[in-house]
Amino acid sequence: MTFRTRLLLIFTIAVVASVGIVEWVGSDTTRESFERAESQRVNALVAQFQKEFDRRKQGIVREVNGIAGSDAMLNLTLATDYAPNYDDAPPIAAAHGLGLLELVAGDGSIISSAEWPARFGYKEDWLLSRDNWRSLGAFLKREELPDGVTLALVAVATVNAGDRTLYIVGGQELDRQFLSTLVLPSGMRALLYRNLSERFSAAELIDSSGPVARSAPLQPLVESVMAQPRETTRTIGTGATAETFHALPLLGYENNLLGVLLVGSSRRSLVELETSLRTTGIVVAASGILMGLILAWWATARITRPVRRLAESAGKVAAGNWNTTVEIASGDEIGQLATSFNRMTHELVEQRERLVQTERVAAWRELARRLAHELKNPLFPLQITVENMQRAREGYPEQFDEVFREGSQTLLAELANLKQIIGRFSDFAKMPAPEMQAVDFNALVRETMKLFEPQFANAHVAARTQLDPRLGSVSADPEQMTRALRNLILNAIDAMPGGGTLTVRTIALGPGVRLEVSDTGQGLTPEECDRLFTPYYTTKTHGTGLGLAIVQSVVSDHKGKISVDSKPGQGTTFRIELG
Amino acid sequence: MTAWKNSRGADFRLRRTSVRRCGSGTKTPCPEGRLLKPCAALLLVLCAVATGLAETRPHYGGTLRVEVQESIEAPDPPQTGPGIADLFNAFAITRWESGRRAVFAADDNAAGGRPYIDTVDVEMGRPPREQAIALDTGKADIVQIEPADLRRQPPGRKIWSSSPVRLVALVFSGYQEPRIREALALAVDRAAIYRVLLQGQGDISGALLPQWLSGYAFLFSAAGDLPRARALAASAPPAARVLTLSVDNPSLRSIADRIVLNAHDAGLAVSIVPSGASVRLVQTRVISADPNRALPAIAAALGLPEPPRADTPEALYNAERGLLEGFRAIPLFHLPDVYAVSPRVKGGPGITPLGEWRFENLWLEGGRQ
Repeated sequence: MTFRTRLLLIFTIAVVASVGIVEWVGSDTTRESFERAESQRVNALVAQFQKEFDRRKQGIVREVNGIAGSDAMLNLTLATDYAPNYDDAPPIAAAHGLGLLELVAGDGSIISSAEWPARFGYKEDWLLSRDNWRSLGAFLKREELPDGVTLALVAVATVNAGDRTLYIVGGQELDRQFLSTLVLPSGMRALLYRNLSERFSAAELIDSSGPVARSAPLQPLVESVMAQPRETTRTIGTGATAETFHALPLLGYENNLLGVLLVGSSRRSLVELETSLRTTGIVVAASGILMGLILAWWATARITRPVRRLAESAGKVAAGNWNTTVEIASGDEIGQLATSFNRMTHELVEQRERLVQTERVAAWRELARRLAHELKNPLFPLQITVENMQRAREGYPEQFDEVFREGSQTLLAELANLKQIIGRFSDFAKMPAPEMQAVDFNALVRETMKLFEPQFANAHVAARTQLDPRLGSVSADPEQMTRALRNLILNAIDAMPGGGTLTVRTIALGPGVRLEVSDTGQGLTPEECDRLFTPYYTTKTHGTGLGLAIVQSVVSDHKGKISVDSKPGQGTTFRIELG
Repeated sequence: MTAWKNSRGADFRLRRTSVRRCGSGTKTPCPEGRLLKPCAALLLVLCAVATGLAETRPHYGGTLRVEVQESIEAPDPPQTGPGIADLFNAFAITRWESGRRAVFAADDNAAGGRPYIDTVDVEMGRPPREQAIALDTGKADIVQIEPADLRRQPPGRKIWSSSPVRLVALVFSGYQEPRIREALALAVDRAAIYRVLLQGQGDISGALLPQWLSGYAFLFSAAGDLPRARALAASAPPAARVLTLSVDNPSLRSIADRIVLNAHDAGLAVSIVPSGASVRLVQTRVISADPNRALPAIAAALGLPEPPRADTPEALYNAERGLLEGFRAIPLFHLPDVYAVSPRVKGGPGITPLGEWRFENLWLEGGRQ
């Protein structure tokens, strides 16, 4: 991952996180505010509903008291036979807008019933349970009707004349008609659960149009109020279909739970508002993120451009172009870094030139020393031989021929030696370019090792080969690679003057090969390892110091790599990798 | 409109006052013993009295407007039975609108003599409330009322009432569980219905024939026994405890509602349905003052088997008891026919103890209108 990409990623994360936090905080705050407002609205509407409910109660009480205050009821109270009045209740109930009306005698027997005319004579003993019904106002009561039990809002008034009493029980059924007459604002609805059975009954949960179609979601709320009669608020559903229900327990005159009134407020408007806010937030956030990305892109480009140039320049320096410089466009830390880089490359160039100069002088000195050393050895026999021949001619002419013949042979041998020395130097100077072809390194190793068998025997060296059968042909110059392997083998034999074990391995490396030559000699110090491939450097008392330099030259010409692994007393392993 | 001739024979002709025809074509009633003799001495004294008496003297003319609750849906007017069919004694039908209206004209050749009233206009299917209003406003002269409404009539109103000739009973049709039939018979609180819904009119009865006709009706128990009814219902299979009840006559609906309530108290689930019910609340009537003829007629009307011929009261009692065995029919009440009559109708009562119409002897105050 590039520095610019990383920087861009950091900027992006920062922008997205910032926008997200702002959006979340803003949205959350707004939602809380609206939910608070919605809760206040629901509470206000519930209060309005309760007021309407109380008004209905007062209306019922007023009507019942109005009936009780009529002369007809006084006359009925005084009547000795109630039979002619058995159908008085229906017209009176209709006249007073009451759905339920019963005229009950002092002994609790029904004189006339509007809701169930056939019940005349039946007892309403509950009326005898208390005296001050008027103070109770309207209350809820289970009411039996011909088609079943229902819930009613009733009030009781009494008419007393002498020792006679008449009860007037009037009210309205709490049914869907009752709910339909309630004035509710848009988005609200009133449901009524009539607690007429021991367990929750879906049929008893009604709204203004009849039984509620989907009552199952409301069952837990109703059951919780039934278990613990108190006002409860709960949101039911999700999304735009969610509703907040305020459940009011409806108690009878004995404080028994007879019903649960559910005032539902749709959360559709709130959800739509939240959706709108969310959409707006997403658009703003997306715009912010896009803008942030563009700015981050521009900023990172601006910031990373000099760094990238520095990196490119450093790459060029690494590739050997030490004259590379960086344009200095600012005076900040990046500019100071560029200045330092330019100064560094400038110093590197100067140091390299000085080093080259020094190494060149050293090389020439080493070459001169080696040449002097190599040439001095053959020259000394030449000088002795010539002086012997001169001395024999002057002092011993009869032996001159003999001396001359032997001297000539010595001279020729030493001249051949000189020629050989000069040839090796010449060969190193004139390393040809490799002629690449497919080479079976396992065969190459076997053939080379075979050539050295006599020398191994003389040097008491045990030769071993570990050849990788998976190794295929590798592109290389067989002559040069043979020459490099010979040099390494000779080097190993020289490293084991008292004998040892020489091991040559081939290891397949994908399309290439690793060639290892190990000995069990005395090993090399780290300093010796560092200088091992320097031309004309040798740790031996004989040799030109060109062997390993030639090996390195061959490997280098093959775009390969050579390394040495050695520790004093543990032998040495040369490792060539091609391919 | 269709013109009808009286098809009845001389057997149904009643004794009638003589009629003297006047030259003008108007008919002046001249009942025996009621002719004023010209007496100069008393003429002035009795002048004012004579004017008043003239109002009570029968005279011809006028249209008698009758409203009944029953609606006869038939292409032709009924020729037998009480009510409209009785008019054929002295009237001839001139207009028949099935289920709505029947108009009769006085028959000049009636066996008992021409009726005083020119026309009888009968409107059928009139609700009780509208009948009461029509009577109060003078748009009707005779209206049929329910016994329960009798005590609601204003003081002084003329009421014609027959003997209790209408039998109200529960009749099972094809219901096979005798325990439930008996349970329902014992569950019905006849006394409460009689006292409140019937306002004490008619008779509580456990018999098919009324007491006044048979003389032994009191031997059939009409008492309820709710505990035994509950026990009987509980002993029956649950499915048998579910009944449906239909009411033939809308005026009996309140009685049916009370029966449903009584049945509920006994553990029976009874619901009222328009038709096809397992038990029906029906009303039939005694058509003859001869119990030997009345009982088979009632049995036939209720769908009961024809009773054997009874020559003695004991045999008749046994025959009736045999009909009521198994509670396939549960007699409840015997009710009278009751009519409220306008004060302008004179010469009544216009019905017999059996509830037959006898309008030929009536005349209207004010005469021809």
